[in-house]
Amino acid sequence: MGNSFAMLMDGFQTAFTPTNLMFGLLGTFLGTLVGVLPGIGPALAIGLLLPVCLTVNPTSALIMFAAIYYGAMYGGSTTSILLNTPGESGSVITALEGNKMAKAGRAGAALATAAIGSFVAGFIATLLLAFGAPWMADVALTIQPAGYLSLIILAFATVGTLLGSSRIRGLVALSVGLVIGLIGADLQSGALRLTFGNMNAIDGIETVTVIVAIFALGEALYLASRHTLVRTEVLEIKGKAWMTRADFRRSWKPWLRGTAIGFPLGVIPAGGSEVPTFISYGVEKALSKNKDEFGKGAIEGVAGPEAANNANAAGVLVPMLALGLPTSATAAVVLVAFQSFNIQPGPMLFQTSPEVVWGLIASLFIGNALLLVLNLPLIRFWVLLLKIPTHYLYAGITTFALLGAYALNNSTFDLQVALAVGFIGYLFRRFGVPVTPLIIGVILGPLAELQFKRALQISQGDWNILIAGGFPKIIYGILLLVIIGPLVWNFKKKFAVNK
Amino acid sequence: MDVPQGSSIISPQTFPYMVSAFTTLVGLGLIMEVLRGRLGTPEGDEPGAPFMGANFKTMAIIATAIALHVILLEIAGYVIAATVCFFGVAYGFGSRKYLKDLGISLVFALIVYFSFTKGLNINLPSGFFEGVFGNG
Repeated sequence: MGNSFAMLMDGFQTAFTPTNLMFGLLGTFLGTLVGVLPGIGPALAIGLLLPVCLTVNPTSALIMFAAIYYGAMYGGSTTSILLNTPGESGSVITALEGNKMAKAGRAGAALATAAIGSFVAGFIATLLLAFGAPWMADVALTIQPAGYLSLIILAFATVGTLLGSSRIRGLVALSVGLVIGLIGADLQSGALRLTFGNMNAIDGIETVTVIVAIFALGEALYLASRHTLVRTEVLEIKGKAWMTRADFRRSWKPWLRGTAIGFPLGVIPAGGSEVPTFISYGVEKALSKNKDEFGKGAIEGVAGPEAANNANAAGVLVPMLALGLPTSATAAVVLVAFQSFNIQPGPMLFQTSPEVVWGLIASLFIGNALLLVLNLPLIRFWVLLLKIPTHYLYAGITTFALLGAYALNNSTFDLQVALAVGFIGYLFRRFGVPVTPLIIGVILGPLAELQFKRALQISQGDWNILIAGGFPKIIYGILLLVIIGPLVWNFKKKFAVNK
Repeated sequence: MDVPQGSSIISPQTFPYMVSAFTTLVGLGLIMEVLRGRLGTPEGDEPGAPFMGANFKTMAIIATAIALHVILLEIAGYVIAATVCFFGVAYGFGSRKYLKDLGISLVFALIVYFSFTKGLNINLPSGFFEGVFGNG
């Protein structure tokens, strides 16, 4: 504990150098920008910037990426409240009450409670991250390959079955991701797999290409395939983006409850940033003294979910940093960013690259404060961005995405892959298949194989090692609960209805 | 697949077999679900919303714009490829102000090209511009 505190102070020294502060500021700015703009989220933004940033010092680049991650959470709420079209999935619930508040002329209060709530939640959750992640890494140092494999499989199950409308579709997405992850030369033996004689495929498919293509190209193709492009009206902000004393009284408890819900659900992957916001909304509705206001613009319904969303974002970073296990698309891209600088997140990270990881955590505190300052007074500037015509916005995103896919290796093969993956992305969106499990499959598939092989090498080929020892047994027990639990729940509900 | 001999205890085929078994299993599951009538709702639609057919014409325009970018990039250079792509996508999204669109596309492509090649030292195919602007 004391050690973590000293390391965090060192981290602040790293983060407070002029260069790193500048990158942090740039990141918060870009993050808010992509959060506000529809069609471009933090995962896509970081993927696009990765080729550009490979020449930059790793600490500065990662500080910028983390700032983008936090910034997008802030920006997303603005679009939800003023436009009723959430900029990213974590802000869907915010639109429910927030847009009603804006229609009633209370946009300023809604924006303020979202921003301040995000700040409070971000601060507490980053504190928990700073002390929780090193602790988790210490524990994880003792985990054997078989145990690690069980954790990856658990992550597969939670990400695959808890996202989206149907469990089987999540698993389909995961399997497509696993197959893409197999492409290329096997790391240990050098055997070529699924390359079909194409020399370009030997090094495998770039994860960044997959992410950029699925989000940018898939989205553009999907939107173009819809007949009408509905133009939504941007609501005016009347008065200042600030809240009254009464608003504060009604907001502070939802902020804290939202944090308490969002952070743990990020650490234990429970399926995407929207789940904690739904839970928080439900809790606030149940506890509120003004139940009749819900559905008409209750401030608690904005304060709680927005806090939960931000706390969740910080929570997701805990397993990403301490175990090397990303459980959201954005965390997956940040992991790839680490890897492109030859830094491997996981139990050893806090020992091998302390200056990077503590600089990063310290910069999250700074970024969080910068975002509050950047968001409230500048809100009118962000709103102007919403007036960019859709056709130019998507033309720009598409062209820029292709540039990002090309610039990584200067190869047109990557562009062909991008086009193909873009079509997969279109089909996924059209048929209600979530894309995050695919990305998790691409990234964690090769890692799962590595741990699987290591485990069997230790045991000289005895498969019993995969479930030997207490740790894998506990994890597989949790896995069974995750899979069987909802089935029993559904069955009970059906039974109750039939009676 | 050619498997190098004696490379390790675990064949490089083992894990792919596990993945293919999993893929087959969930594939069958998906077929079952679709046969039971649970077709996917497009993302962003409410379940049970009236079905909207896909507009394949606009989709084809976007896909063509992307494909043209891929083909033109190393033949004609980045500026032309990006201009064509930007213009094509804007057209696909329903914009019909051709001159304005072309102007914005060209400016966008030029800004990106020069900020990348001169500002960030990232090489992009210069194509026709090689002689005009030097080797970017």
